[in-house]
Amino acid sequence: MSQGDNRRRIGERLMVLQVTVIVAFAALGISFWVLQIVQHAKYQEMAENNHQRTLALRAPRGILFDRHGKVLVENRHSFTISILREHSKDLDQTARLLAKVAGLDLKEVQEIIERHRGEPSYRPIVVVEDATLAQVAAITARRLDFELPDVRVEEVPARKYPEQLAAHLFGYVGQVSDAQVASNPDLKSGDIAGQSGIEKIYNADLKGADGARVVVVNSMGREISVLQEDRPTEGKRMQLTIDYDVQRATEQAFNAVSEAGLTNAGAAVVLDPRTGEVLAFTSRPTYDPNAFAAGIDRSTWASLNSDEQRPLNNRATQGRYSPGSTFKMAVGLAGLEEDVIDPNFHVHCGGGANFYGRFFKCWKKGGHGSVDLKTAIAQSCDVYFYTVANMLGVDRINKWATLLGLGVKSGIDLPNEVTGLVPSTKWKQEVRREKWYAGETISVGIGQGAVSVTPVSMAVYMATIANGGTRVTPHLVKAMDDGKGEGWKAVPGPPPQSKFDITPEKLQAIRDGMWMVVNGSGTGGRARVAGKDIAGKTGTAQVISNQGRAAARGKRDLRDNGWFAFFAPRDNPQIAGIVFLEHGMHGPNAASVAHHILDTFFAKQDGRPLPPAPKPEELRFDFSDSAGDSGPRDYPDPPAIPADDAGPVEPQREIALLERPVAPGRAATMPAR
Amino acid sequence: MFERRLYFHVDWAMLGAILALCLIGVVQIYSATGGSSLYVTQMYGIAIGLVALVVCLTIDYRSLADKSHFIYLGVIALLVFVLFFGVVRGGSRRWIDLGSFNLQPSEFAKAAIALALAKYFGESRRGAVVPSDLVIAGAITFVPFLVIYQQPDLGTAATLLPIVFIVAFAAGMPMRIFGILALVGLMAAPIAWKFALKDYQKERVSTFLDPEADARGAGYQQLQARITTGSGGPWGKGFQKGTQGQLRFLPVAHNDFIFSAFAEEHGFAGVFVALGLYLFVILRAIESAQLAKDRLGAYLVLGVLASFTFQVLYNIMMSAGLAPVKGLTLPLMSYGGSSMIATLAGFGLILNVRMRRFTN
Repeated sequence: MSQGDNRRRIGERLMVLQVTVIVAFAALGISFWVLQIVQHAKYQEMAENNHQRTLALRAPRGILFDRHGKVLVENRHSFTISILREHSKDLDQTARLLAKVAGLDLKEVQEIIERHRGEPSYRPIVVVEDATLAQVAAITARRLDFELPDVRVEEVPARKYPEQLAAHLFGYVGQVSDAQVASNPDLKSGDIAGQSGIEKIYNADLKGADGARVVVVNSMGREISVLQEDRPTEGKRMQLTIDYDVQRATEQAFNAVSEAGLTNAGAAVVLDPRTGEVLAFTSRPTYDPNAFAAGIDRSTWASLNSDEQRPLNNRATQGRYSPGSTFKMAVGLAGLEEDVIDPNFHVHCGGGANFYGRFFKCWKKGGHGSVDLKTAIAQSCDVYFYTVANMLGVDRINKWATLLGLGVKSGIDLPNEVTGLVPSTKWKQEVRREKWYAGETISVGIGQGAVSVTPVSMAVYMATIANGGTRVTPHLVKAMDDGKGEGWKAVPGPPPQSKFDITPEKLQAIRDGMWMVVNGSGTGGRARVAGKDIAGKTGTAQVISNQGRAAARGKRDLRDNGWFAFFAPRDNPQIAGIVFLEHGMHGPNAASVAHHILDTFFAKQDGRPLPPAPKPEELRFDFSDSAGDSGPRDYPDPPAIPADDAGPVEPQREIALLERPVAPGRAATMPAR
Repeated sequence: MFERRLYFHVDWAMLGAILALCLIGVVQIYSATGGSSLYVTQMYGIAIGLVALVVCLTIDYRSLADKSHFIYLGVIALLVFVLFFGVVRGGSRRWIDLGSFNLQPSEFAKAAIALALAKYFGESRRGAVVPSDLVIAGAITFVPFLVIYQQPDLGTAATLLPIVFIVAFAAGMPMRIFGILALVGLMAAPIAWKFALKDYQKERVSTFLDPEADARGAGYQQLQARITTGSGGPWGKGFQKGTQGQLRFLPVAHNDFIFSAFAEEHGFAGVFVALGLYLFVILRAIESAQLAKDRLGAYLVLGVLASFTFQVLYNIMMSAGLAPVKGLTLPLMSYGGSSMIATLAGFGLILNVRMRRFTN
């Protein structure tokens, strides 16, 4: 091959190289054109997702005040620890390291991650709510070492309930459940929402609006700068109708009941009978809503739910109990208003009476002799009300009890209120598909049989008698402040549920009887407050028949329930309410609790120093077993299973009424009218 | 040695383009490293590189080719030395610690091989390339390849292969031999996959085929490279305004991924200019090969140019997320003294050949 051929061949091959290089660069140029011009928007967005992160700033919930401006529920700072999956290189590794560093159970961490796996990866998964400072410090230290770049520690406001007060009223907050997220488009996973009580009902007002912060982060997840920030808007402040001092007095009295070992279950609702404003509200046993505020741990939740006493249940609105003798005013008023009796109507009580071939006992073995309406209320004579009930028939009792607020919902602004029951022929026909037997009416006359009530409806019942016939709707919010600088805006109370005018003389007879309960020789003397004309009525309701009691002995708490229903002052009522002691044994024990509430209320009104928290022994609780078979007592056996003409009654419904006057030495005379 | 008239034959245009690319590199290093002193170090590298360029320019390439076996053996010795006494960084032993800086001898192996191959093929009296030539040329390349591969530095080792192929191609290697080699390579690929590649290397390749399948793992860099480039748009985000590079979503934005960072901040416009400069330099170098007075000169130019071009193309493809991530720098722009010095020295040789096209 010649030199020339050689040269030419090199030239050809160099040309090939030239063309190859030009083609390669053209291909590169086109590639860049596609990436940077054609697909620019897509990569632009991906780049922004890389370095911009939108963080939710949780809004503090609205602060709750009492009617006089005392803070009841506020917020505190807490830390949450969450995982940002979009920055996770190895989620399992993160879970392991996080569990190790924060001292968590790896299984639980993995379960939490698993639960949120379906969500978009930019949404943080909250692993620890209300982290301890040690956890925060441990994680922050790891972050400085560039470990855990996908773990965030955030400071967020958490709910704080400064005192153990009205837990069921306030309710609690918690992370929304999947079901809540599904049913409410405003909620997203990880949000905090009210789960019960006021927190739940007024969640929309209290929650405020979360803010957002757009930050620039580097590849280690560290924030470099803030691009944009929308401050969160605090939830609306609320002024409740609750009076802190009355509320605290209620709690104190119930604490004394527990300390005395009487019972730790019960409820109280105290209203302003003129408006329906709730002054105090409690349900026992209680729980610590703070435990929920920052994510309740599994064991606490389990113990709250497995506790036989069901501390999460709100007994005031969700408990149904036999009202016992406290029902007698409804029967009396029905008799008066239906003109079946007048206040001077007398009945002779010989310790019992026969109706429809069956003997119904009065609680007082010897009988009360001849009694009129006032004395019958004061002495809680059963025979008197058997008689009146029999004259009325069940439907007229139902009508008036309903007008007074029993057997219907009170309409209080709390979740899941249940309805009590005042029976009627219609009810029995519809529900039981059976005829009402006239004999069943007799037991209804003393608040037993099928009658059941919630404590809150009892409070309404008292308020209605106190205000002369207006069935006010109990409510909790007086005013709201939306933080726009306009200050408190009054929230108008809800309209009454119903209204009728009780004939004044007839009302007065009932009121006088109730006055005598407390201030006369009646059963409620322990509730007396000097100079305040307290009117009230005790009730002691047996939870099981004597036969049933024998059968169930030892299996559950069978002690009687105690009630005290009250309003005051008699002629110009400003306060009305109910105290209920589950297994509190006697109505008079409940009167002791009511005394502290009333004493505090009037002391505050008069500007006197508030009474100190009562000591258990000061309340003189009566622990005597009212229906046991240990020795002779002034207590009757509850009515036996009714005779055939009285119709069948379920044994569980058979709740006897047992009464006993106390403090006989403190008898007072009726004031001249 | 250096005659005055030669001065007029220096390819000033190519030198200008080279310096322009160096300058772009310095600016981009400054931007990517947030004003640390790395850009100063890079400028020292350029200065030393220019000295090396002048040295390589001054000595007649034919004299250098005469000494090529010494140069070749010297580089091999350095590489072996590195293998035993080199500085270890990032799991590989590639550098000789010279106190103020680290020297990476593998960068210089390219020029040494180019010289040795140019001499071998250039002085061949036979008109055509015969298989025995290929065996010898292969051996010349394979020895340093093996040593560099042991460091391990597969990337740099791979840049040696284009040298022998391009020089052999230009020297007239029959195309059927290329065909046979290609066939052998294709058949050897599965074996190499099984035995020669390390796990992380395999991962890189499989990730390349489907980067989003493992966006947090090995695909991360590739995906980030694409995002970085793509988000630059037509005009770029501006000097020091690139979020991907500045916030370290893109790794080694001053080094392996400098072109991505550059594309982010200066957009398609900047890319167009830079690609144009590289293309100009390469075409100009090929022209130098065409103009070379002898085969030795042409082969020398092509040898030097082969590894340069390969590295430029591969790195820019990688910067756009179009090639598996490999630790290959972008010559002239990436941060790195040894690479800069070796590259500029290589261009000294190319200028040398062109400048002496009229001498005897």
